[in-house]
Amino acid sequence: MNRILRKLFSNTTSLIGIILLIIFIAIAIFAPVIAPPLSEDHYIIPRMSWDINPQPPGSPMSDEIRDVYDYMGAKIKYDRAIFGTAEGGYDIFYGLIWGTRTAFKIGLITVSISMLIGLFIGSISAYFGKWLDEILMRITDIFLSFPFLVAAMVLTTVLGRGLDKVMIALIVFGWMGYARVIRGNILSAKEETYVMAARALGVKDNKIIWKHLLPNTIFPVLVEASMSIGSMVVTASALSFLGVGAPVGYADWGQMVSFARNWIIGSPGQAGQYWYTVLYPGIFIVLFVLAWNLIGDTLRDILDPRLRGEL
Amino acid sequence: MITNNKEPLLEVKDLKTYFFTENGIVKAVDGVGFKVYQGEILGLVGESGCGKSVTAFSIMKLLDYPGKTVGGEILFKGENLLRKTDAEMRKIRGKDIAMIFQEPMTALNPVLTVGFQISEALLMHFKISKDEAIKKTIELLKKVGIPMPEQRINEYPHQLSGGMRQRVMIAMAMSCDPILLIADEPTTALDVTIQAQILDLMSTLLREFKGSLIMITHDLGVIAEIADRIAIMYAGKIVEYANKRTIFYSPLHPYTFGLLTSIPRLDIEMKRLNVIPGIVPNPLHFPEGCKFNPRCRFMTNRCKEEEPQLIQVEEGHLVRCWNIDKVAEEVKKELLVGECEYK
Amino acid sequence: MIDSLLKVDNLVKYFPIKKGVFRRTVGWIKAVDDVSFEVYEGETLGLVGESGCGKTTTALTILRLEEPTKGQVIFDGRDIVKMKKSEMRKERKNMQIIFQDPYSSLDPRMKIKDIIAEGILTHNLLNHQERYKRVGELLEKVGIPAENMDSFPHEFSGGQRQRIGIARALALEPKIIMCDEAVSALDVSIRSQIINLLKDLQKEFNLTYLFIAHDLSVIKYISDRVVVMYLGKIVEIADKKELFTNTMHPYTQALISAVPVPNPDYKKERIILQGDVPSPANPPKGCRFHPRCFKVMEICSKIEPKLIEIKEKHFCACHLYNEK
Repeated sequence: MNRILRKLFSNTTSLIGIILLIIFIAIAIFAPVIAPPLSEDHYIIPRMSWDINPQPPGSPMSDEIRDVYDYMGAKIKYDRAIFGTAEGGYDIFYGLIWGTRTAFKIGLITVSISMLIGLFIGSISAYFGKWLDEILMRITDIFLSFPFLVAAMVLTTVLGRGLDKVMIALIVFGWMGYARVIRGNILSAKEETYVMAARALGVKDNKIIWKHLLPNTIFPVLVEASMSIGSMVVTASALSFLGVGAPVGYADWGQMVSFARNWIIGSPGQAGQYWYTVLYPGIFIVLFVLAWNLIGDTLRDILDPRLRGEL
Repeated sequence: MITNNKEPLLEVKDLKTYFFTENGIVKAVDGVGFKVYQGEILGLVGESGCGKSVTAFSIMKLLDYPGKTVGGEILFKGENLLRKTDAEMRKIRGKDIAMIFQEPMTALNPVLTVGFQISEALLMHFKISKDEAIKKTIELLKKVGIPMPEQRINEYPHQLSGGMRQRVMIAMAMSCDPILLIADEPTTALDVTIQAQILDLMSTLLREFKGSLIMITHDLGVIAEIADRIAIMYAGKIVEYANKRTIFYSPLHPYTFGLLTSIPRLDIEMKRLNVIPGIVPNPLHFPEGCKFNPRCRFMTNRCKEEEPQLIQVEEGHLVRCWNIDKVAEEVKKELLVGECEYK
Repeated sequence: MIDSLLKVDNLVKYFPIKKGVFRRTVGWIKAVDDVSFEVYEGETLGLVGESGCGKTTTALTILRLEEPTKGQVIFDGRDIVKMKKSEMRKERKNMQIIFQDPYSSLDPRMKIKDIIAEGILTHNLLNHQERYKRVGELLEKVGIPAENMDSFPHEFSGGQRQRIGIARALALEPKIIMCDEAVSALDVSIRSQIINLLKDLQKEFNLTYLFIAHDLSVIKYISDRVVVMYLGKIVEIADKKELFTNTMHPYTQALISAVPVPNPDYKKERIILQGDVPSPANPPKGCRFHPRCFKVMEICSKIEPKLIEIKEKHFCACHLYNEK
């Protein structure tokens, strides 16, 4: 374990990834301090104006809005839209800061649950083999045959709007990769002599999977999982961009990008006028995915020499 | 060039080959020297990690990064191979010096037919046509005892058994009539009845071609059958160097003595096997003084501080040890070999 | 007539050869083909043969680590082939195995104390404290200082790992231990350490060994009786001395003559067999050895010779001795 940590910190690329990740974690933890909420539900993005056009960065809160909040009794800690507003006056800055929490939620929950499902199916498939393996793998194939984004869209449309429905869709169509990876690893680990030695001692099958096979085969799955966290967030954002997903006004990066949908090109004669509606959310998403990818890459590099030699 | 029989065909002098790894320098071969005369078989004996294979690769200049030959001379027919260019070595390899490896499956290219691989060597070294090369290949396969060679030349290595593949390797090695053959554990991976076939074949071929052989192995039984002179290696150095009878009947190095008395054998009823305690040392952490001292029953203080040199104790017998008189006494008591049938 | 500890009766193990998309069985690898022998308490029975002869498969099949295709394995009076899986699991305490490869037979992620304790834990033999006390005792017995018990396998050498494997096998206090090429993968200077250790442990714990090897010199040193196998069948069984002085089967003779002896003056009968070992998927008709046999007769290619007791306690499967 120490060797892994040492390697993670010595590599420049992974160091960048770790630093980025720490920044994001800090943003997520200190969101109430960085962007003090103005409503009961912290995830509702405050609005800076009723104007449907996005306002440029630095725009002050309009007086009408200020009156509304005063009336509600909310303490206004800041009153400028630092990154500007998106369509409908939603403060981009607030959306991105609190959206970090949402991103972590989406990423970690979908990946861990789909990983667990994949691990379970993949390991019993590999260990018991024969017809069980055939059936489970064919089921996996069926799920794999659906194009991911389309299938997720269909499912969310059926289930309805909401971030949790998005996560369900991502999980339902996201476990197959893990199942395959763990199945392949267990199939080869199964033939190792130490597994036969455990059988010779009289160890029960479930103990063999749990104590011997999984610890020796799970690392590549963890690598894939860490890489997937980024892509899950991107997909969730894509779904939000397309209109399914988080409810309007919810602090979610995908929401922010979706708010920019009508304003990407800008107004006639002024291309890119509303660049801030795209750039800031874009930066957050890109850096988040990059952080996880860099860490995952380094983990994978650590994995290779380990396979050849000692622990 | 006709070799004068009094001059050795191959003389290795103070060969040093080191591996420059990220964990440190591994002195795999550290000052090794021996002579091979024409028509002679030299046995290079030692366990894993002693440097015997690296010596062979150094002679053939087939070392891979991070290994490098950093010192010494390798005189083949009087010329120092270490000074030769890559192009010159390529002319020598396969034609004058040939090598047989341990694992025939990895030494043979799995995607090329057997016939192609043998004729490739022929075409490289001789100016003959493709048809003539194929004819010679079939002859060679017949010579090494492969049945139906006309069919075999179109087969791939995985279609042949282990013994067959080794025969193909021998055919490849002998194809250009080399004067020196280096065999690196050629029969270790084979069944014992197949091993007997292969050793028999090698002796026959060598007698016919009047070639020399460096036989690398850890198996003292194989060496007893085939070698003329023997060099025992340990931790990158030669610890004893003598002719066969001396090594087996009056060895003077504790390691040689330990090996001979610790292996089970068919000819003598052994009540208990002697043990060489400890393990083969880690090449990154060789002990001070004599490299064998932590495992040596004759060890004295001097052994821990000073590394002994290879000294000639009598004509043709060199030993690297401070305590050979003590060893000689034990040898008289314990070694029981002689003329005996199996009991 | 003493009762044997282990009696193998007509043991058969075939592996299916599957081809094609639907994995149809197109043939069988007859790895172990009607093998019968007995092992007596306290003895070391050597099982020798070359690659493909079925000796390792025999050991694995006896332990039901591979399920037997046919036959009986009577251990301590009970047929273990017929036992239910749960019963068999309990029976495993009495029959253990030491594997050939010290590098892959220990789980690289477990501490050696847990590797050795696993059997004790599985069968709930001792409580936590007693368990690790016993692990410490076992480690000392096999020559590894007990303070190393928290280390991982990769911190040990090949010979030391093999000792750990021996400690693991001993932990359950078995009656019989299969040594499957237990020293073949070790350096020459380490082999004698392990061989001596096995012998000492046998005396101390009254163990019975089924010692499998291809090295006839090791077999000769360590065994009391020897079983010689060829291509899935037994060709000869005899007491050790008897096997080497009055060798009957031509294959055994060839095997003995092929073994190199570290003695430059050693005179022996030179028997070089022709050809390769045939594939166990397609063994020759009649006597399986007949295509390579230097004493072959006409009957050998037609009828398979049975394993018969030719002399007292000396069995041989060969037509040369059948007319008695």
